[in-house]
Amino acid sequence: MEQSGEYTVSASRERVWEALNDPEVLERCVEGCRSMTVTGEGEFEAVVAAKVGPVKATFTAAIELQDVVAPESYRLQVGVKGGAAGFAKGSAAVQLAECSRDETRLTYHIEGSIGGKLAQIGSRLVQAAARKMAASFFERFAVDIGRSQGV
Amino acid sequence: MANETGIGAAVKRKEDARFITGTGRYTDDIGAHGQTYAVFARSPHARAKLNGLDASAALATEGVVAVFTGADLQADGIGDLPCGWTVHSKDGEPMVVPAHPPIAVDKVNYVGEPYAVVIGESLEAAKNGAEALEADFEELPAVVDLASAASADQIHENVPNNQTYDWELGDKAATDAAFAQAHHVSSLEIVNNRLIPNAIEPRAALGEYDAASGLYTLHTTSQNPHLERLVLAAFVQIAPEARLRVISPDVGGGFGSKIFVYAEETAVIWAAGKLRRPVKWRAERSESFLADAHGRDHVTKAELALAEDGTFLGLRVKTLANMGAYLSTFASSVPTYLYGTLMAGQYKTPAIYVEVQSLFTNTAPVDAYRGAGRPEATYVVERIVETAAREMGIDAAELRRRNFIAPSDFPYETPVALTYDTGDYEASLAKALEHADYAGFGARKAASEAAGKKRGIGFSCYIEACGLAPSQVAISLGAGVGLFEVGEVRVDVTGSVTVVTGSHSHGQSHETTFAQIISEKLGVPFENVTVLHGDTGRSDYALGTYGSRSLAVGGSALIKAIDKIIAKGKKIAAHMLEAQEEQVDFADGTFTVADSNQSLTFPEVAFAAYVPANYPLEELEPGLSEKAFYDPPNFTYPAGAHICEVEIDPATGVVDITSFVAVDDFGHIVNPMIVEGQVHGGLAQGIGQALLEHGVYDETGQLVSGSYMDYTMPRADDLPSFTVDTTVTPCTHNPLGVKGCGEAGAIGSTAAVMNAVTNALGVASVPMPATPETVWRAAQA
Amino acid sequence: MEISITVNGRSEALDVPDNALLADVLRERLGLTGTHVGCDTSQCGACVVHMDGAAVKSCTVLAGQANGAEVTTIEGIGNPDNLHPMQAAFRENHALQCGFCTPGMIMSAIDLVQKADGQLDEGDVRDGLEGNLCRCTGYHNIVKAVLAAQDDMKSA
Ligand code: FES
Ligand code: FES
Repeated sequence: MEQSGEYTVSASRERVWEALNDPEVLERCVEGCRSMTVTGEGEFEAVVAAKVGPVKATFTAAIELQDVVAPESYRLQVGVKGGAAGFAKGSAAVQLAECSRDETRLTYHIEGSIGGKLAQIGSRLVQAAARKMAASFFERFAVDIGRSQGV
Repeated sequence: MANETGIGAAVKRKEDARFITGTGRYTDDIGAHGQTYAVFARSPHARAKLNGLDASAALATEGVVAVFTGADLQADGIGDLPCGWTVHSKDGEPMVVPAHPPIAVDKVNYVGEPYAVVIGESLEAAKNGAEALEADFEELPAVVDLASAASADQIHENVPNNQTYDWELGDKAATDAAFAQAHHVSSLEIVNNRLIPNAIEPRAALGEYDAASGLYTLHTTSQNPHLERLVLAAFVQIAPEARLRVISPDVGGGFGSKIFVYAEETAVIWAAGKLRRPVKWRAERSESFLADAHGRDHVTKAELALAEDGTFLGLRVKTLANMGAYLSTFASSVPTYLYGTLMAGQYKTPAIYVEVQSLFTNTAPVDAYRGAGRPEATYVVERIVETAAREMGIDAAELRRRNFIAPSDFPYETPVALTYDTGDYEASLAKALEHADYAGFGARKAASEAAGKKRGIGFSCYIEACGLAPSQVAISLGAGVGLFEVGEVRVDVTGSVTVVTGSHSHGQSHETTFAQIISEKLGVPFENVTVLHGDTGRSDYALGTYGSRSLAVGGSALIKAIDKIIAKGKKIAAHMLEAQEEQVDFADGTFTVADSNQSLTFPEVAFAAYVPANYPLEELEPGLSEKAFYDPPNFTYPAGAHICEVEIDPATGVVDITSFVAVDDFGHIVNPMIVEGQVHGGLAQGIGQALLEHGVYDETGQLVSGSYMDYTMPRADDLPSFTVDTTVTPCTHNPLGVKGCGEAGAIGSTAAVMNAVTNALGVASVPMPATPETVWRAAQA
Repeated sequence: MEISITVNGRSEALDVPDNALLADVLRERLGLTGTHVGCDTSQCGACVVHMDGAAVKSCTVLAGQANGAEVTTIEGIGNPDNLHPMQAAFRENHALQCGFCTPGMIMSAIDLVQKADGQLDEGDVRDGLEGNLCRCTGYHNIVKAVLAAQDDMKSA
């Protein structure tokens, strides 16, 4: 599975970069996120309740930041375990480009694969589910960053 | 006077009374006091090392009784799941067999392979426990593509090139010579798509252990409970056969997929003994998709050499067969002795050479599915014959006729190890052509074309080898079991009859047809006959139901037992009537003394046998109950002609089957209504393969057609009504003259559909399933 | 939760978990094992029963949703001595083999005939039974049976 997208966020690149590396911000912005904990240098563990078609489960994601070029780009290496629901794994390349002083363009490219029940029942639906999750993340992210800037 | 419930009558079924009122008893309808529930943890990976399994959270889950791993079973001496047929490679070496523990121990090789079983007080508790298991998998690259599997990563340590065997049949030199002098050679690359059987009742098991007697009882969805018991006792080592009873109650369809001995019932009966509590399991459909043995999955290259007049000179076939990740119970025999041996079809092809390489991949095991090898063979033969007809400009029916084995040629020895006893292929084809109004096809095609549609017609003149099997032939070819059948006739004191058969019925209607045989032969009223089956505690060891064998083999055993009953009855009657045994005749339920008006009814003789007042006890044992085993001297050879006509809308690619004609020769028929039903069901499955069904793994080995959303089962609105008829050449070597009808529909129909589709489109081939998208693409080309 | 349902004319008061499915309650609690479960994605129709007169897939109905409803299962439409015309037609036309799909098929077929305005033809029956899978019969005889039963149901 592959997917790309692009969002414009009303904040400086530094600010966006900071937020993208802040587990608290991420926890607030990932829909269904129960917890986001730092497990090491550039490593997080997230617990997320998600639904793909008829498959509904709590997923545990191990996230590792790689190829970090602050404040421009990094790669998120993600391994997701959903117990009986199966697994997902992949990577997301994220790039930040300065549009103006307080506007940043974020592009991402995800590559991944799924397995277990998720693939068996949800393979046709997973693309749409991933798109929806990404959209919801950036929507919340934009709002969140706007709010924190307002403070 | 014809017996209205005898042989040949369309008697309504005994079974129906319970099934239409919801009082059937399937495995999942049966419960035991204090039962626990099993849930299997299944691999989400196609290939991985299992580096560890942490069950502590699972065990701490409320209601979880136990968690068992593959290592637990091994430690308890539980053996591997065996493959019951040893096929030898070209070089004479036996096939290479990988270890197949019921529950994975340190590696998993297909998505859905069980790696632990969680037992709970409730289903929910067991599910929660399974969810809490923490397995440490180390993923490895999966081998998925069959065509490249021989050169891919090695899946099993002891199986180089992922090859279990490289088998051949036929005379290579003679075949090469035939090709050297051919006027025309047709060749075709064929993919026989993977199918998932999908009996509507999911597999299930209830295991019980009685500590007082040490007896195990397993209720399970098996087509052959004795085989199940034999394997669980002798190979898996649950308990000696005498302490293990296997019962197959009502079973909701099998189609081959319930022949095999699987991990789940093995674990369930073992766990019942360990825990000393009943253990119950029922597959969810998602599990059935992953863990029932799949069917077909071949890649083949076929070549047919012809003389100028269309005479077949030689056939060369090279097939790669997918075994999946392990060898299932009879997997090895399907692409060899049930496939290569059928390559003569209905034709006098003098030289045939077949090579089959069977390979492992990281997919679910593949084994017999309705027809088992014979549909694949028919598909090869009938597609290449049709192709040759088109290439040489000879009418497809005519080309077949020119090459048919003629009635005068029987018994006919094929170049691929079989001896056909009888048949009349021309007769079936002629009748089918008439039903299909072949003469009017041109006009119908023109009408379709005028309406912007494409119309095509396709034939399939199939043959199958059924009535498995002559034991010694099968054993000499590698079978690990005999293939006889047992029948027992217990005449009751009042003259009613209980039949006990080793053949199991899971839709085939034995309770009706076997009662018809009793009614015909003993004159006992149909309603006074009860047929018992599916229980190792009731019948002697026998081999069960598959390969269209129940009537040809099980029915023949029954006839032998009936003959013994009649012989003994005559002795009793002779004594009672003070006549010579030779003078006593038996017909229509009455023993009569020749040239006299003296007679006794069957119930009178039965009563005398059990209340032996006037009875020759010094010479004859009391009682009237006989049993017989029957081992067939040959296979039976049902054959027939299927003709499919389709209309295709090139704008949408939708294939509409406008007519489907099946004319089959099953020999004598006991119940024509039931035979028609068997044909209908087989046709639906064969048409399903051609147009709808496809088991698909993605490149990482994930099953992406794993539910009814993605695996297209034929539904009522996908199929036409069928025209079904028969011709009769009685089987020459069994007492009923029957051949078997269970698989014919699935064997013949697929090629007919695809011949019609390619005919309509005017293309050499279209991959199966011919979905609207596939057909639309082909129509654009 | 506490529910009360009328099943085949008998009222039942039951305490069931919130997530209990009607199919499981019928089978496990009430012993009505004629209702079968053939899939986990609501696509086989083996579990069809009537709820307040309409066919529903009981594997997709929560027992709680059936609270206060009248449910009829295969066991409630007839008995061997007094078959429903649809049951009789299935037997008469050999519309079943293994029998596993049969209860759901019969319940769907009855609903189909009852809801039809006017005479159903072969195509209507095939379309109408599209939600019920049968692996044994190829549907040929099921279609025949439903067409035959519609006349009997009307004259009954
Ligand atoms: S069980 Fe399959 S639809 Fe309900
Ligand atoms: S009769 Fe077996 S599934 Fe319909």
